[in-house]
Amino acid sequence: DSHIQYERVGADVTMKCGSMDWDAAVTWTANGTDIDESHLNGSYLILKNVDLSQSGQYSCYEGSSWHLKYQTSLRVGTPPKEPLLMCRSNNYPKGFYCSWHLPTPTYIPNSFNISVIHGTKDMVCEKDTIPKNRCHIRYLQLFSTVKYKVTLTVTNALGKNFTTLTFDEFAIVKPDPPESVVAKPVPNNPRRLEVSWQNPSSWPDPESFPLKFFLRYRPLILDQWQHVELSDGTSHTITDAYAGKEYIIQVAAKDNDIGTWSDWSVAVHATPWTEEPKHLTTEAQITETTSASTSSFMAPPTTKICDKGAVVGSGAMAVCWTAGLVVAAYSVLFI
Amino acid sequence: SPTGDSWGIFTFLCAALCNLPALPALNCSEELGAGQSIQQTYDLTRYLEHQLRTLAGTYLNYLGPPFNEPDFNPPRLARAERVPSATVDLDLWRGLTDNARLAANYRAYSRLLCYLRVLDGQVGTAELRHRLAHFCASLQGLVLSIGGVMSSLGYPLPAGPAGPSAPPGAPAAPNDFLKKMDDFWLLKELQTWLWRSAKDFNRLKKKVPPAVVTLRLEARGF
Repeated sequence: DSHIQYERVGADVTMKCGSMDWDAAVTWTANGTDIDESHLNGSYLILKNVDLSQSGQYSCYEGSSWHLKYQTSLRVGTPPKEPLLMCRSNNYPKGFYCSWHLPTPTYIPNSFNISVIHGTKDMVCEKDTIPKNRCHIRYLQLFSTVKYKVTLTVTNALGKNFTTLTFDEFAIVKPDPPESVVAKPVPNNPRRLEVSWQNPSSWPDPESFPLKFFLRYRPLILDQWQHVELSDGTSHTITDAYAGKEYIIQVAAKDNDIGTWSDWSVAVHATPWTEEPKHLTTEAQITETTSASTSSFMAPPTTKICDKGAVVGSGAMAVCWTAGLVVAAYSVLFI
Repeated sequence: SPTGDSWGIFTFLCAALCNLPALPALNCSEELGAGQSIQQTYDLTRYLEHQLRTLAGTYLNYLGPPFNEPDFNPPRLARAERVPSATVDLDLWRGLTDNARLAANYRAYSRLLCYLRVLDGQVGTAELRHRLAHFCASLQGLVLSIGGVMSSLGYPLPAGPAGPSAPPGAPAAPNDFLKKMDDFWLLKELQTWLWRSAKDFNRLKKKVPPAVVTLRLEARGF
């Protein structure tokens, strides 16, 4: 029959060949490979200072007949370290969830047991199937003065460990980040970006438990974020964007009154609206082409700029030419 | 946040200026929409909650360990409940009528104010007395504000300060430690009520339209 054997990393392991006598002639194999006699003490297999690589199937065969006398699966691992536990209410006021994990792997199976005590009452934390290592609790009462005490115990074949969290109902409220964040340029407004988002879908009652939001944005080329806090509404127009620059924008949410800020939402990118790029030509070429009929130049844009400025008169040409130069110079700078 | 604090202080000052003159018999005819006074009351609860954090910290340090330890989590002793607890069943809380919701807040803070005033008379240090007095004044403003909202909505004020005038039905603590326990729970209940009130007034904000209604705020014999 088959066994499983758990041993600690660094331990010395002695395997007996079932009921065989110490002086019987046996052969041991590890994962099908013969083990050298130097590891044997009579019919016992001695493994000193085992490491993870020595995990595997060990079999013992009677010397001459090659009958399988004993088989065991050796699993080398460690006892559990103190687990990391986190509890959070992202669906206030419905309840909260706790999730946990081990800081370092044990390499052998672990079982977790979670207990939740509220004052004198024991509460049941229902384990989630997905993700594993998570359970959830429904609040029976709201606005409680009594703290919740959550104890997580982790046990495996080599030992056990535990950790405890104690908290007030309000302290663990942390919504999920806002969803569907969208940032769009605003036509004919080179310094604006329109941002909109939605309440996280896990937040069950935004009417009675409204969220407030924190928006941060910066052009990709700068490190400094700008921040805006918004006490209501799920949209905001940025009015001080640098023209033509691509922006990165994120939003976070928080219950209006209690708890902490959510993580930042997925980042969105947007660039403010810019005018159609123009082909810039000098004034000299314009005066040439106005008489030339075979010219392939497009209508010179500098005349458009002058039109906007509504400059009329003999001085206009000189002004237009200067304006054209300035625009050209700026364009070169920003390319 | 610093901006939040200044806003809270500003709002409170406004509320105080509006409400405190009503203490001596005064017909303060203000044009307060019910919606506006709910907003005001909401802002007051936020301000008080912030103030309480500092006050509670100072007071618990005055009480000394274990009361000032962050994970101090004592069992609730079987002494008579002094203040109506903010704790409530979720569905029940949702289903409260506006009148019931406001009345619960009014009653709770009226009693909490009484208890705090008693505390004020007993504490040792001048700093604590000063803080407590300031807090009581703010809390008084809150009670008046809630009363104002109820009046503007046409609800009768709960028979006031029912039963316990100073110190209430509950028997005096038999020893120093239990007295400190009582103080600890008083501050805890106060804190929880302020958290709850923010939610209560959020709900009221949504239900009462912000239409402007002219009222006369009359003295209520506090």
